[in-house]
Amino acid sequence: MKAALRPGDAAFANVEKVNAELFTLTYGAVVRQLLTDHEDVDDVNKQLDSMGYNIGIRLIDEFLAKSNSAKCADFRETADVIAKVGFKMFLGVSPTVANWSPDGKECSLLMDDNPLVDFVELPDTCQGLSYCSILCGVLRGALEMISMRTEVRIVKDMLKGDDVYEIRMRLIETVPEELPYKDDE
Amino acid sequence: MIVCVGVVGQANNPLFIQSYTEGDDALKFHHVVHCALDVIEEKATPKKGGTGYNETYLGLLYPTEDYKVYGYVSNTRVKFIMVSDDLDAKEADVRGFFKRFHAAYVDAALNPFHVPGKRLASPTFAARVNGIVNGFGKSTA
Repeated sequence: MKAALRPGDAAFANVEKVNAELFTLTYGAVVRQLLTDHEDVDDVNKQLDSMGYNIGIRLIDEFLAKSNSAKCADFRETADVIAKVGFKMFLGVSPTVANWSPDGKECSLLMDDNPLVDFVELPDTCQGLSYCSILCGVLRGALEMISMRTEVRIVKDMLKGDDVYEIRMRLIETVPEELPYKDDE
Repeated sequence: MIVCVGVVGQANNPLFIQSYTEGDDALKFHHVVHCALDVIEEKATPKKGGTGYNETYLGLLYPTEDYKVYGYVSNTRVKFIMVSDDLDAKEADVRGFFKRFHAAYVDAALNPFHVPGKRLASPTFAARVNGIVNGFGKSTA
């Protein structure tokens, strides 16, 4: 266990850090602005998810360049690396991976501590808002770039009174890597 | 014991008032808090020619027959008022109370869904203030 934690800590030490309150307030301002622009809460959830996707497809390169992690053999290992290295590197927290489905294609990331939601309290008017759905988008985008199509959603949300954050990841398929051109062309 | 606490915004608009007595005397405390604003105004305005008086804790604002009213004003001119029926509360306790009260307000104001200058409707803030009020005077007792 300890050996698995070490790469995350090393990566965390290597990345540049930003003040936590600045980060939380910036994200809060983004969500608020989206709420004013879209009005409908479901649209905001979708928008956050697609913003996350756009972050994810870029962030994965940063991650691969700085984390020195080896190629993962299967989805289990991938989930482990995401939790221990990825989250540690970019959010400073390490969720636990749990609730594996028997076929090894679906699992949950459990977080007790989420820097995105410090100070946040959902008002009654936006109870349907999935405040952290940006995280789902990031995971989906990042995994898609390394040829894994996934479906990611939030099933438990501390802002809605649950005791933990649970992000459910399901591997839909592994897309075989396609080379853009043939050798003889 | 603390009987009432209040937060008043920059334009002297009430943001949060909560009384902790059994009876239905919210109106009375509204009045007490309202009166306190005048005293705060007087105390917190820097005097002409004087040195910049920059203390946030204003101390005892005025005593009434049954209560003592204390005040605290942040540098953003948000006023915190506390009404106590304990006629000889320790100053250190009162200062500590305002410090915690202010911290609770700051955290509530950092909520992205809170609009500055609007009423503090957050139940978490109310619960936290409740806890601070209940803990008042117990640390040194």
